[in-house]
Amino acid sequence: MALAGCGSNAHLPKHAAKTAPAPIRRRDVQLLNAALYLERRTVAAYTAGIPLLPRPQAKAAKQFLNEELQHTGELLALIKAAKGVAIPRAASYDIGHPRDGNQVLALLHELESAQIAGYLRAIPELSPGPVRAAVATILANDAQHVCILRLEQGENPLPSAFVTGRE
Amino acid sequence: MTSMERGQSTTRRQLLAGGAGVGMAGMALLGSASALAATTKGAPTTEPQRIQRLLSVELLLVYCYQQVIASSLLRPAQRRALLPLRANEEAHVRALDRALKQLGGAQPPAPHTLAEANQDLSHRKIGGRLGELKNTKDALYLLLSAERVAVGAYFVALAKLESRSLITLSAEIMANDAQHEALIGELLNNGKTAEAVPYGLVQGVQ
Repeated sequence: MALAGCGSNAHLPKHAAKTAPAPIRRRDVQLLNAALYLERRTVAAYTAGIPLLPRPQAKAAKQFLNEELQHTGELLALIKAAKGVAIPRAASYDIGHPRDGNQVLALLHELESAQIAGYLRAIPELSPGPVRAAVATILANDAQHVCILRLEQGENPLPSAFVTGRE
Repeated sequence: MTSMERGQSTTRRQLLAGGAGVGMAGMALLGSASALAATTKGAPTTEPQRIQRLLSVELLLVYCYQQVIASSLLRPAQRRALLPLRANEEAHVRALDRALKQLGGAQPPAPHTLAEANQDLSHRKIGGRLGELKNTKDALYLLLSAERVAVGAYFVALAKLESRSLITLSAEIMANDAQHEALIGELLNNGKTAEAVPYGLVQGVQ
């Protein structure tokens, strides 16, 4: 399944860019762009997968999609605050070919976990501190998504006391 | 730009109005300094002090779980659902304790009585008092509020910590506590995910 990416330039509050704290390093922009790519890929998967989910799961997935879009907006705001340039949306994302609800849940679980692992690699590298904290708020929400997806899949929602994206 | 991405800033403003889920742009709107500094009056200034503060929150959480799980307020299924959360909190305590020892810091005192725990809950502005909970909802709300305070403590710490290993550990635990928030929210709201995972940017309460 390949789907055109959603969203290019989120509506960014002008004050945010003007008053964002401390200069964000060039390396930070690279890390934020890598996260943005993964978020957009996950947005594509939710968008393509929701029609295959039963109604209650679809309702939750729509909410998660909204939150993923919020994450892309947040990352775009951070990149803009750093006077960096956001990577363009890909024409399509390789998200496999899920054919039913179970396969969609498995795909979403995999992509959310990949995001978590990515954030945990990026967060110690990021500075200044408030940027690290801001990115951690996205990580925490993605961890919640994985937890609920695992419940929906009939799996243990809390396989570890430490969220790593590998559990 | 999709309509959903256009709507994102509105959502953030709504969250700001509600005092929750403030992101980077949100922090900037509030003034990043005030958003974080307001939470750090009398704040720890060294790495051991920061870990002590996180550990003290986790010790309170463990005590709250112990009391709620041992109470008669829960149905068996709810008690079973909370057991892994308590085990997670105990693992957090062990990990933070190890980290603190490596830094040469002393473990903060854990609450040993209801009065001590309630004083700590009051100090942290967590609603509900142990020993005075009337029903399941009261008990779950207390745990939810305590988890949100824990997430908030990690949010603040992540902006300040300098050691890479401590940053990673804090982020892993913050994410797990956020999962607890979601699961308690599911218990409180009969599996309604919209209420259980209400914010796209999870920063807890400071």
